[in-house]
Amino acid sequence: MLEDKIYAALKNIVGPENISRDPAILETYAYQWCNEVDNTLKGREPSRFGQRPEAVVLPGSAEEVQAIVRLCNEHDIKFKALSTGQGAWAGVTVPRAIQIDLRRMNRILEINVQNRYAVIEPYVTNAQLQAELVKHGLIHNAQGGGPQTSPLASHTSFVGPSFTSSHTGFSGRNLLGAEWVLPTGDIVRVGSFNYSGEWFSGDGPAFSLRGVFRGGYGAYGGLGVFTQCAIRLFSLPIPKDWKWEIKGTVPDYEWNLPPYWKMFVLNFADWDTFTEAFYEVNDQDMSMMAMASSAEGLATMFTNTREAALEAIFAGLLVKTQRYFVVMVTAHTEREFDYRTKFLQAILKKYGGQDLIEEGVVTAQPMHYAEGLRNSLGNHAFRFTSCFQSTHGGLDTIAMSVKIGIVNQPIKQKYIEKHVIGDDRGEGIWITGYEGGHMAHLEVPTVYDPSSPESCRGYAYYQDECNKADISNALGIPFFIVGDAFHDSYGPNVMDYPRWLRKIKAAFDPKGVSDPGHYVSSKPREGST
Amino acid sequence: MTLADYQQMMDRCVRCSKCKFLDGILVKSKQYSTICPSIERYNLHAYSGGGRVIMANAIQRGRAEFSDEMLDALYRCTNCGACEVACKMYYDIEPNEVIHELRVAAVESGVGPMPKHKKYIDLVERTHNPYGESPMNREAWLPDGVRVDERSDTIYWVGCTAALRRQEIAQATARILNAAHEPFALLGSDEYCCGSPVYRVGDRSRAIEIMKENVERFKQHGVKRIITSCAGCYNMLKVEYPRFVDLDIEVVHISQLMESLLADGKLRLTREVPMKVTYHDPCHLGRMAEPYEKWEGQMVEVLALVYMADPPKPVRTGGHGVYDAPRNVLKQIPGVELVEMERIREYAYCCGAGGGVKAAYPDFAVWTAKNRMEEAESTGAQALVSCCPFCSTNFHDGIEERGSQMEYYDLTELVAKSIGGDE
Repeated sequence: MLEDKIYAALKNIVGPENISRDPAILETYAYQWCNEVDNTLKGREPSRFGQRPEAVVLPGSAEEVQAIVRLCNEHDIKFKALSTGQGAWAGVTVPRAIQIDLRRMNRILEINVQNRYAVIEPYVTNAQLQAELVKHGLIHNAQGGGPQTSPLASHTSFVGPSFTSSHTGFSGRNLLGAEWVLPTGDIVRVGSFNYSGEWFSGDGPAFSLRGVFRGGYGAYGGLGVFTQCAIRLFSLPIPKDWKWEIKGTVPDYEWNLPPYWKMFVLNFADWDTFTEAFYEVNDQDMSMMAMASSAEGLATMFTNTREAALEAIFAGLLVKTQRYFVVMVTAHTEREFDYRTKFLQAILKKYGGQDLIEEGVVTAQPMHYAEGLRNSLGNHAFRFTSCFQSTHGGLDTIAMSVKIGIVNQPIKQKYIEKHVIGDDRGEGIWITGYEGGHMAHLEVPTVYDPSSPESCRGYAYYQDECNKADISNALGIPFFIVGDAFHDSYGPNVMDYPRWLRKIKAAFDPKGVSDPGHYVSSKPREGST
Repeated sequence: MTLADYQQMMDRCVRCSKCKFLDGILVKSKQYSTICPSIERYNLHAYSGGGRVIMANAIQRGRAEFSDEMLDALYRCTNCGACEVACKMYYDIEPNEVIHELRVAAVESGVGPMPKHKKYIDLVERTHNPYGESPMNREAWLPDGVRVDERSDTIYWVGCTAALRRQEIAQATARILNAAHEPFALLGSDEYCCGSPVYRVGDRSRAIEIMKENVERFKQHGVKRIITSCAGCYNMLKVEYPRFVDLDIEVVHISQLMESLLADGKLRLTREVPMKVTYHDPCHLGRMAEPYEKWEGQMVEVLALVYMADPPKPVRTGGHGVYDAPRNVLKQIPGVELVEMERIREYAYCCGAGGGVKAAYPDFAVWTAKNRMEEAESTGAQALVSCCPFCSTNFHDGIEERGSQMEYYDLTELVAKSIGGDE
């Protein structure tokens, strides 16, 4: 229990309406998706309730965040900040910790159309930002978490692939600056803002702090608090007078598809032809969306209910689908559109593929284009059991992504046979390319039943085996290598990077108050040099 | 049902926060992207649909107990159901049902509802309306010249708010029915509260008693059809009553009836009402108005861990409420131009009055109404129109506090103007 004096001091910072230590209120922060996995792997019951914070505070400004963090340093209290906060990594992991809920900081501070960046606060959501950007013919990289999640969280702190990644890249590479409340309470403004007043570059004149706090996958909230950031924007091919219109009703909406937009599902006989074709399509930088999944993934992607997805599967999708990727072509002009379309047809011809939409195997409705753009399509996978999570998460190359998919299949099949995870024949994957195809992201979405302890445990053990397979097969960096134990098991294979990670943690967080649970603590592991 | 019956559903919440917003593809602007007044006003996650599901789960699992602060979070919710529409797009979860069940649990534990709710429940018991008015005042709204046919087996169910607080709606409705030669009877002092304000705050057992008494009264009066101008009463009679009592009576909202009377040529709108208006969908006539359909069957595992209902189970999506009837009526009023707000139909933003909020937290109710008024003003309309006496009261309060230049009309008032019945 937080001492009354400290609670009063926190209340004084944020105001009485913006703080609570009521156990029932705090439970809504202790409960997180994937805590059931963390709990299982730590030998506990597979519950979604995790560590309960001792208080929750909702600051309204960077200065209030700073005051909270300084108070935590003064009284040896750990803290963890969240924005929309979906996932175990958003919650606190240790006793005597408080949750900083950034919900009140929800402004779009700037949309710089000319220099193509936006400056946002933590609780601006993807849908909110994109809705405003579309008015200027722009979009940002809206991470796959969905339209209701925070682009600031993704760009500063957490992974960052999206359904439009072939056009908008990876969140970590699109960060152009950030206002960072260090674990000590000092405020640093990273990037060009400090010397030019404009956030066009994430790096200063010397070394880059982006690499320190962000790196590949981010610190998962374990290294201070980000109170605003600038992110890169991208063009959206729509006519100047086009407006986002939506009709119909739940779950079947109708979207006013802009001209020169078309979806393709390019299906190939095997991984080899798939890989070659995927490289070529990414290399030409010509699609708004280029991503691969399984037949089950395709079924849920282009339907609007679980029943419709299952009907699609039973109608023969498994037989008609081999190795495919979905491409959403968008173009400004008819000539551009014709070129891109012909290019895809040439790819099909070259590698002996078929377009499953052209063949009538699947149909992409206009709302699915909108859902692709808004990054809702991944959320469709929740429809099977109201739950899925992904293993692996290699930030690597297209070839490596395919390799992971192949290596993973028998591992996944083993757990399918145990009846603890959903049956996608072990082939459920999600691959997207970045930046002309020199990088790619793969994760392996896996359905499990959150209301079944056996299924939760089964998924957790499967995820653990996937992490181990990443090490034994040198498969790239899984995104659930988080926390001391995982880093220490993974680190020796990758130049013992946790040593350096811990030096960063110690330098920036000397008192260790920024919750290390999904990052790393500054204390070296036993036996480390 | 008990909270325990919702355990599986509660365990499925992924705390994704979709319950706070319109579905992603429906968002056209940041300003009008949110859907839950409660989380918007109070910010703590406990004030969202998902947050309340987690609190219910914690109570059910014995991890937390009812507390004053927790009850505040539970009852500062208008029960508008928007969270449920957003959630069901992806999940097998009904947050609004869980919230209601948590309120029932609070009442059964002796800690709920809130003091102001207890006060009006007492008034309902003693005076048969939550305002504490004498039952003899229930027909005070009835103007001279309105024809009431006491022999009719159709009743105009006025509802407490239209009868005692928003008489202009009752008067307009009666005139419209007269103009269309649609006979109706009134129950007068025999019309008791439908039970909505009691039911919504979780006093289910008392609400069921009220339902039973009302059904008995309908039988005594030989009622075959109920017309109501109140969205809240419509919701109770059409949606909630059949869950708990046998009610074999047709229930129709005045907007539906007017649409049908216009189509049949029985009601004619001749007078110009030159006005640009925008329409607010009341929660109880919109997303909450889909009846519960009884389902008996089994869940069959068709793929590993993936179940399908056999036979198919009806799902209340919120998409099939009474949305078109009021709009179709509005569009037929000569001179009326309808412009839409961004948040409409299943994603209409609540007026702020429902779920016991107006009684217990009037400041929050008006705060929400002012938000909605701001959206209404952004359309350039002169007037906000809706179909619910309770929304009407709250919007009138919101207009006054906001200092808005907009006018508010119930749909019946505009129709009455067009048939010349407002004089």
